[in-house]
Amino acid sequence: MNGFSMPSPPGSVPFTRRRFLSRNAMGVGSVALAWLLREERLLGTPSNIPRGPQSFDLRQRDPVRPARARAMISLFMHGGPSHIDLFDPKPELSRRSGEDYSGEVTFSFVDRASKKLFGSPWKFRNCGESGTAVSELLPHFSRIVDDVTVIRSMHTDINGHEPSIWFMNTGRAQPGRPALGSWLTYGLGAESQSLPAYVVLTDPGGHPVDGVRNWSNGFMPPLFQGTVVRSAEPRILNLDPPPRLKGGPQERNLALLARLNREHLERHPGESDLEARIASYELAARMQTAAKEALDLTGESEATRRLYGLEDPVTREYGTRCLIARRLVERGVRFVQLFVNGQIWDNHESIQSNLATCCRKTDQPSAALVTDLKARGLLDTTIVHWGGEIGRLPVTENHGAAEKAGRDHNGQGFSCWVAGGGFRGGMTYGATDEFGHRAVVDPVSPNDYHATLLHLFGLDPNQLVYHQNGREQRITDGQPCRVVKEILRDA
Amino acid sequence: MSRLGLPPLFPRSPGRRRIRAGLLGTLLSGSLLAPHAASAPTFEKDVRPILKAHCFDCHGEGDQRKGGLDVRLRHLLLKGGDDGPVIVPGKPDQSELLRRVQSGDMPKRDKKLSAPEIATLRSWIASGARTSRPEPAEPPSGVTEEDRTFWSFQPIGNPQVPSVGSAGRVRTPVDAFLSRDLARRGLQFSPDADRITLLRRVTFDLTGLPPTPADEALYLADASDQSYEHLVDRLLESRHYGERWARHWLDVAGYADSDGYSDADPPRPFAYKYRDYVIRALNADKPFDRFLAEQIAGDEIARAHAGNAATVALSGSDARDLLTATGFLRMGVDGSATDALSDRDAVRNQVVADTLKIVSTSLLGLSVGCAQCHDHRYDPIPQSDYYRLRAVFEPAYNWKQWRTPQERLVSLYTDEDRRKSADIEREAAELAKERETKQTQYLAEALTKHLEKFDAPVRDAIRSALDTPAAQRTDEQKKLLADNPSVNIHPGVLYQYNPKAAEELKAMDARITAIRGRKPPEDFLTVLTEPTNAPPITHVLHRGDYRQPRDAVPPGGLSVLGNHGHPDEFPSKDADFETSGRRLALARWLTSPTNPLVARVLVNRVWMHYFGRGLVGTPSDFGAMGERPTHPELLDWLARHFQEDGWSLKRLHRLILTSTAYRQSSATSAKGVTLDPGNQLYWRKPVQRLDAEAIRDAMLSVSGSLNRRMYGPPVPVRPDVHGQIVVGEDKTEGDNKMPVDVPLQGEEFRRSIYIQVRRSRPLAMLHAFDAPVMEVNCERRQSSTVATQSLMLMNSAFVLDQSVRFAGRIESEAGPDPARQVVLAWQLAYSRPPRPEEAREALAFLADQSAGFPPISAARGGDSPKAKGATPESEALASLCQVLLSSNEFLYLD
Repeated sequence: MNGFSMPSPPGSVPFTRRRFLSRNAMGVGSVALAWLLREERLLGTPSNIPRGPQSFDLRQRDPVRPARARAMISLFMHGGPSHIDLFDPKPELSRRSGEDYSGEVTFSFVDRASKKLFGSPWKFRNCGESGTAVSELLPHFSRIVDDVTVIRSMHTDINGHEPSIWFMNTGRAQPGRPALGSWLTYGLGAESQSLPAYVVLTDPGGHPVDGVRNWSNGFMPPLFQGTVVRSAEPRILNLDPPPRLKGGPQERNLALLARLNREHLERHPGESDLEARIASYELAARMQTAAKEALDLTGESEATRRLYGLEDPVTREYGTRCLIARRLVERGVRFVQLFVNGQIWDNHESIQSNLATCCRKTDQPSAALVTDLKARGLLDTTIVHWGGEIGRLPVTENHGAAEKAGRDHNGQGFSCWVAGGGFRGGMTYGATDEFGHRAVVDPVSPNDYHATLLHLFGLDPNQLVYHQNGREQRITDGQPCRVVKEILRDA
Repeated sequence: MSRLGLPPLFPRSPGRRRIRAGLLGTLLSGSLLAPHAASAPTFEKDVRPILKAHCFDCHGEGDQRKGGLDVRLRHLLLKGGDDGPVIVPGKPDQSELLRRVQSGDMPKRDKKLSAPEIATLRSWIASGARTSRPEPAEPPSGVTEEDRTFWSFQPIGNPQVPSVGSAGRVRTPVDAFLSRDLARRGLQFSPDADRITLLRRVTFDLTGLPPTPADEALYLADASDQSYEHLVDRLLESRHYGERWARHWLDVAGYADSDGYSDADPPRPFAYKYRDYVIRALNADKPFDRFLAEQIAGDEIARAHAGNAATVALSGSDARDLLTATGFLRMGVDGSATDALSDRDAVRNQVVADTLKIVSTSLLGLSVGCAQCHDHRYDPIPQSDYYRLRAVFEPAYNWKQWRTPQERLVSLYTDEDRRKSADIEREAAELAKERETKQTQYLAEALTKHLEKFDAPVRDAIRSALDTPAAQRTDEQKKLLADNPSVNIHPGVLYQYNPKAAEELKAMDARITAIRGRKPPEDFLTVLTEPTNAPPITHVLHRGDYRQPRDAVPPGGLSVLGNHGHPDEFPSKDADFETSGRRLALARWLTSPTNPLVARVLVNRVWMHYFGRGLVGTPSDFGAMGERPTHPELLDWLARHFQEDGWSLKRLHRLILTSTAYRQSSATSAKGVTLDPGNQLYWRKPVQRLDAEAIRDAMLSVSGSLNRRMYGPPVPVRPDVHGQIVVGEDKTEGDNKMPVDVPLQGEEFRRSIYIQVRRSRPLAMLHAFDAPVMEVNCERRQSSTVATQSLMLMNSAFVLDQSVRFAGRIESEAGPDPARQVVLAWQLAYSRPPRPEEAREALAFLADQSAGFPPISAARGGDSPKAKGATPESEALASLCQVLLSSNEFLYLD
């Protein structure tokens, strides 16, 4: 408020704290806690002015079509998980392992480059009723395949990590555009206003490659930026006090502040803005409580903790974050994305040991998430995505000794899997060539992938428009896209 | 101006002013806000505005009239469309027009008509569908007589200052106008606020900073009855005055330190010179008409053009200032240098449109931009007016001969600089040549070494294939190289073969860069200039589409302000100048004493900054959809006074600030609340929250960390480890771009106006408290009260750090005695000592808080470097400081 009261229209209710709370209980503003921002200011633009800045908020909005999905958890496996060792068995590659590959290959690391075909050292087995082929590296995943659609024909056509991550995450292979989570929260808002709408769960081992840009709001207001929930205190920037102030000290601060503000208000009777600010501290406290509750796993059962692998030091960390993701989605968060530290899937060297390590960290928790969501009846409306930005080459990256062999980048073809939220499950879709090099059957671009996700959320990728300086922005940025209806439950 | 050899631009002769008596009177009548007169409605006055807003687009102005119907005149309504007449005078129920709008069938797309609008149509038809005068056969283009009677288009009046009794409370003419209206409602000004309240109020309002203890001592020591006036005078002379009021102007100018548009949002490294120009101009109290003219046409005043701007810029500081002032016209988003634009021309045209929007909203207070695609729906601004205005800027912003932001920069390199630079470049080139040689050598060595891994015959075959020019290689050779990709060694992958060599080359690159870094830094100005070739012809663009040019239009002003609705045309080319002179003509037109808008818009904005709301509540819309002035006479008196008083902003400030209206208390009274709950009559001074910059700057000031250095390149901003935008150099390391802390040497504590305004990176602390994100410009800030602000005050690193610094200041100035600490804390934060009960509460808090902190060693855990050296007592004091900095008494001004 500008400090004075606007003339009240006839019959309007005097501005009281209760009214402030009823209007604002779910809305708050700004950048630091971007998710809290709501630009519907208390002193809004006069209604007779039919223009002016766009107003943004995170209140829930109806999709343009009936939606199948209402939330999404993306287990982002950046670095380039080796699809031909995990999801996409290639008998011909195995048969001709060691021979020279005749296809054209783009290498990122030419000094170690070779054209010797490198068959997967791991066995595949057909699993579940659907018979989806799964590598022996993923025993837990093999038990959920009937709920999962494996897309074997993803492609970015770019080998570099960053451009492909931008492509997968924002729709364009260039930096600076809003992330998928920004678009979803821009289009739909969120069910909960006391939790962030778009949460990023970073790995305690460090940020992903390209850092904070992975959850950037790009040209959108900071309201739509991903909110990082850290694994240590303070968990959420500005929401949690620093450790020294946690608990009693901050409570005493707030108690003194409330007293001073009340005394100040007594000297300024009727100043509604002063009242509103006092109330906003109470609202802040409620948000602290809500976030604390969402992140507190002590109420989870033994069985759940075991399911996610919380008892095992290898899976505990990633399992904890997967479980938090479920709790957030349960509480109305729209989009949760988990990253892993650094580039663990970037197995240029010693893939035989390194890939196995990555799988041990993530396999059980990822499968547990799908199982748990299903058991709680949440899988129908929650999309789970597992995948990276590129795959790996069918030829050897040469490091001398055979056990040190690895695979170089491959943006021409790779796999990911999706489950829940209207995806059919129990199927594979698309195919790479006989060596797993290029997506050749039913290729799915990142734009197709986004179009399909938006479709499940009841949005139209061509109609979800953000107006930026007179430009109409879409997540596809004008590139061709199609909804991959073949993998949807009701197309 | 004479110093530049130009005839005076602004002859001041108020006597020339046309005064239309009586028109102001209509404004003052009780029906000010009533949309309709009580007498029988007429087409021109009552009906046409409704039809214009809702129907003209399809049934009049468009290319084709839907249903063959044109609704722009009464006789056209009677003639009707394909299905016959749409009105039957006297018989509303038989009138198709009414049936269609009542049923909601029409308008098809837009908002439907409101009930009062429909009632007006009904009443007009029922009363015989009258017109004010005989209608022309064809719909008139341009503005109508009724249009021109609108209040803001009337000449600025010359109202008599009311003579009111009880003169004690009337200190200035401002008070006379206000107190007369108050008295009419049985109200009066509140008593003057106490001295400390006034000190804080006026210090923040004029400088954006809290009073320092020294300021306070000086003021309280002044025992004269003019102590407040002396205070105002001191503050107006403070260098911080310019910083504060520049921020207000930069909002409407849309100031930003980046180009915007693209995702890269490239920085504008030299835009700050315009910011500094504004600060200096305001501190010098440059007459505002001159200030505006320099910003609109400084280049022309300096006789600069695109070809000689650098020479002019180097000719002296006055000329350089004039050029710098045109930075105003370079503030808009400019994406024209973006790579791979799909529609480059559209982007260029958008730059022109945004610039027009900035100029028109900041100076004319009209949404002229609405007339870009079609005649303005609500205001009498025909589309041709928009393009007449655009014609003023097209010689400089010619989208067919465009210059990118880079190409518009004016270099300040002297001949001497150039010579030095060339010498250094020669030195760098020598080293670069050496590097090239080394690189060739290393590549060859790497290949030889790598080939040793191959058996001799294969090795020789590969070597021979590589030595063969690519085009002449046999198929066999091609296959050989393809099958052995690792032999294709090029500079980009040398590091994979010989890391040491790559490092050495990198070090040489660094040396080359260092040598080049010794060149005299090339400095630039961000300016708008015109080339000297013939000005382009400006066309009205159909639907605002640059691909659909229609009639050519000459440059000129708004029709509604011209003689009988005919626009003032500007010469297409001023013969006295090498440039077109169009912007100079616009500057003259804007600052002419007969322009009714500019002075009103300016004084209204000044008023808004003091009272939280303008005399016109919509500071950038003085049109039909805007609010009407609450005090039209006062507005006109101030505007005229401002013009006649030499457009001196400082004297205008003094006039307002020394008024009782400004000096009165903010306390409410039962009578005031009952009779005028909205305080429309100013029976008290409104309580106002500090704006974003003032909050941050006040914290810095109170904590003792404020760096008061003025001017210069902006302090950079960057995303922190969470992605939140904070002050800091944008340096990262590693693939995951972890921010690297670069010591800012106190720059981080500079005033907010010097913090980089990167459009895509709004500083979290400022954005939280409603600082605008510049898409075009910001006509009026919002003031929100939201939980995020509370959370920032509770937990953000900035506020916590400032609290610790505040506590440190108190400890060093007050010593270890908590009682003295509390007194100083209150004094610094609130400019007053604590009340006894406050002091008791604070002391009890300090005791509780210091006892309640866990032992530092136990809780430190390495994550609290600031706790090093801290004691429970100092931590408790920091807590107290944080509470004060977060309190309403700190955040609001009485």
